[in-house]
Amino acid sequence: MKNQKREIKEGIQFHEITTNKFKTNLFAIFLSVPLTKEEVTKNALLTAVLRRGTKDLPSQEEISKNLEEMYGAGFDCGIEKSGDYHTIKFYLEIINEQFLPEKENLSKKGLELLLSIAFNPYTENNAFKEEYVEQEKEKLKQIIEGKIDNKANYALERCIEEMYPNSPYGLYKYGYIEDLKTITAKDLYEHYLKILQNSKIDIFASGQFQEKVEEIVKENENIKKLQPRNANMELENKKEERQEPKVVTDHMQVTQGKLVIGLDVLAEMPNMTYITMLYNTILGVDSNSKLFQNVREKASLAYVCSSNYIKRKQIIMIRAGIEIENYEKALDIIKEQLEDMKQGKFNEQEIESAKNLIYATIANIEEEQDTEISYYFGQELAKSNVTIEQYKQKIEEITKEQVVEIANKIKINTIYFLRD
Amino acid sequence: MKVIESLKIKEKVYIEQLENGLTIMLVPKATTNKKYVMWATHFGSVDNHFIMPETKEEVYVPDGVAHFLEHKMFEQESGKNSLDTLMALGVDANAYTTNNHTAYLFETTEHFMEALDELMDYVQHPYFTDENVEKEKGIIGQEIGMYDDDPGWQLYMNALDCLYEKNAIKIDIAGTVESISKIDKDVLYKCYNTFYHPSNMVMVLCGNFEVEKMLEEIKARLIKRPKQGEIKRIYAPEEKGIHQEYKEAYMEVSQPAFMIGFKDEVKKENKVQRHIAIEILMNMLIGKSSPLYQKLYQEGILLSQPDLDYEFTDYYAHVLLTGQSKNPNKVKEELLKEIQKQKENFDETHFERIKKKVYGDYVVEYNNISDIARMLLSDYFKGINSFDYIEQFQTVTAEYTKQILQEVFDEKQCILSVVKIK
Repeated sequence: MKNQKREIKEGIQFHEITTNKFKTNLFAIFLSVPLTKEEVTKNALLTAVLRRGTKDLPSQEEISKNLEEMYGAGFDCGIEKSGDYHTIKFYLEIINEQFLPEKENLSKKGLELLLSIAFNPYTENNAFKEEYVEQEKEKLKQIIEGKIDNKANYALERCIEEMYPNSPYGLYKYGYIEDLKTITAKDLYEHYLKILQNSKIDIFASGQFQEKVEEIVKENENIKKLQPRNANMELENKKEERQEPKVVTDHMQVTQGKLVIGLDVLAEMPNMTYITMLYNTILGVDSNSKLFQNVREKASLAYVCSSNYIKRKQIIMIRAGIEIENYEKALDIIKEQLEDMKQGKFNEQEIESAKNLIYATIANIEEEQDTEISYYFGQELAKSNVTIEQYKQKIEEITKEQVVEIANKIKINTIYFLRD
Repeated sequence: MKVIESLKIKEKVYIEQLENGLTIMLVPKATTNKKYVMWATHFGSVDNHFIMPETKEEVYVPDGVAHFLEHKMFEQESGKNSLDTLMALGVDANAYTTNNHTAYLFETTEHFMEALDELMDYVQHPYFTDENVEKEKGIIGQEIGMYDDDPGWQLYMNALDCLYEKNAIKIDIAGTVESISKIDKDVLYKCYNTFYHPSNMVMVLCGNFEVEKMLEEIKARLIKRPKQGEIKRIYAPEEKGIHQEYKEAYMEVSQPAFMIGFKDEVKKENKVQRHIAIEILMNMLIGKSSPLYQKLYQEGILLSQPDLDYEFTDYYAHVLLTGQSKNPNKVKEELLKEIQKQKENFDETHFERIKKKVYGDYVVEYNNISDIARMLLSDYFKGINSFDYIEQFQTVTAEYTKQILQEVFDEKQCILSVVKIK
């Protein structure tokens, strides 16, 4: 097995991916908690505050200097919605010792730094440093306000929000300004302690290692302090059933209109994730897809028109950048494509080329360190253990009938348009 | 065949120039399952005025032709689109146009030979008609519209307008709706015949293959073309000094964005050392661990480290520092102060630390085959051997870097482009 998974404590998993494809080793720590309105803003703020300092390196300047000394090790952290989980992610990428001008045990240093950023932050009087919290609140406020800068992403976010008005997945991953105001350094630290106790923890190491990384993790003082936890969380997952699509239009200063259509996949059948993936690929992933061919190539209506399948939520998001006056026309052509899929108006050639595209995506997983980590983390969250070979085989086995069956269980949930 | 090698990072490049003038660079890598191929012509958005090698005709072409041509190359006489054919094989294919080159590329684990057939076939067989050229204008018009809404692009175009008065780098790569309306099939054929000659092209391959065999496969797919002389490109003469100090635009953004630029002189010698030194200096001045960045971050003037770039070719060179700030003028002012401080009192400990970081950054470039191929290709058009960044690294001393600081980071050569909140 390429990916070795071992439980450090209940709810804390260590995953080691051995690969010789890269010049770097990559470490990742993921802390996952249920996505809720009450905590979404705190989680986002926490991510930002944690990178400000550790007990040993109390400022960002110290951390940066340390990273630079390690031949510019790359540190990054962020927050993502993984289905109904909210996951805080920390990454550290460091040059593999073989490629250094001088010998040095870099990887251990890098991993230990990452562990201390996540688990041993700088505190004052049982709270985060006031100054850091206030500065990060200001910055987070700007990030939340910045949602409007990228119009295409904004339109996508808005459509998802409209699809899930009272459900966690409709939340914005960076939270809300009104909730941000009241968070104090003390509150945030208490929230952090709760996360340390309750979150599902996954630690990944990818690359080639001279030492046993698992031992470094197990022996780490910060890890030793953690208690076992229940990793099988209850996730709230409700969605309003819609008979008719919800139609929403927002106005903003744009030259190009952004059309987003959210689809629900309302099927229950074995391997439906794989079948829907194939359905989505035929519909709108690449230049052979129905959307690209018909909206862009034949009708010249859009520069981009594609669809994206979010498998953890069983939804498909269609996006197009169009001339504002072409709204009706584009919508009709897109609906026509969905109808054609239902009636099985696609041939073996289209299925074959969509399958080829998915095989290429599968082959690519091992070629990028972070992609490979994401794949295994996805497996972890889905509580499945599909290897890359099995993944490919599942795609090979899909028939046209199965795709048509899925197509008939797909319904438009929301039509969103951002225009001038 | 010429071989260049880097022992430090354990990589080799095999370089062959064929009789027809085509340069081929091959980087075999046993640890990947993929292959990545790029075929590029030395033809970009700046090449709008030139003399055709055979007829000696002096030609002006509308802005955006190189990019337009790139779009049209995929169209085949059979009615098929080569991009679709490649995608149908599960091959990830694409193309792009920069100011100095146009590249066609694909990446794949399977169906490699079929994909190579397709790539080499479509790049060597243009098919332009009045209808297919007209239709493309609608699609490219949408693409231009997309850029119009993009604050980052506006910021960049305005920065270039500050740095240069006439330099062709100011031309929008896609052209304008007005300029592309003048493109017809004759213009496209003229450009194709001039610039898509093997002697004006380079192919880069990186991935899992045997060098000799691969070279034979490529040769077997090349169509014979008569020899062609040199293409004379006519560029506006280099201007000393900046065009204007400041330019602003208003857009619907949440936070003002800024681009601070320093115009540099175009150099023929020591391009790599200069680049490394500038890379180190940008990090020392406003990188993550710099006193200036820490100060501005804590004052809430910077949200994150600005992007640091040094862009250069044979006809322009400039530093660009890009970020978001509620007070761009303050960022510029503080930066100029910091530059002055470093000029008077250069921090050598900081220098040594950043030098290590920059070394690491260069090594990371070799993490994936597409990055390797893209780097080799863009360095090739700059007349640079990419390995020199690793090999010449130690030769960049504090002394030399100080000298570059004096030369390049000059207040008189400094510009500011800002996108403000509408």
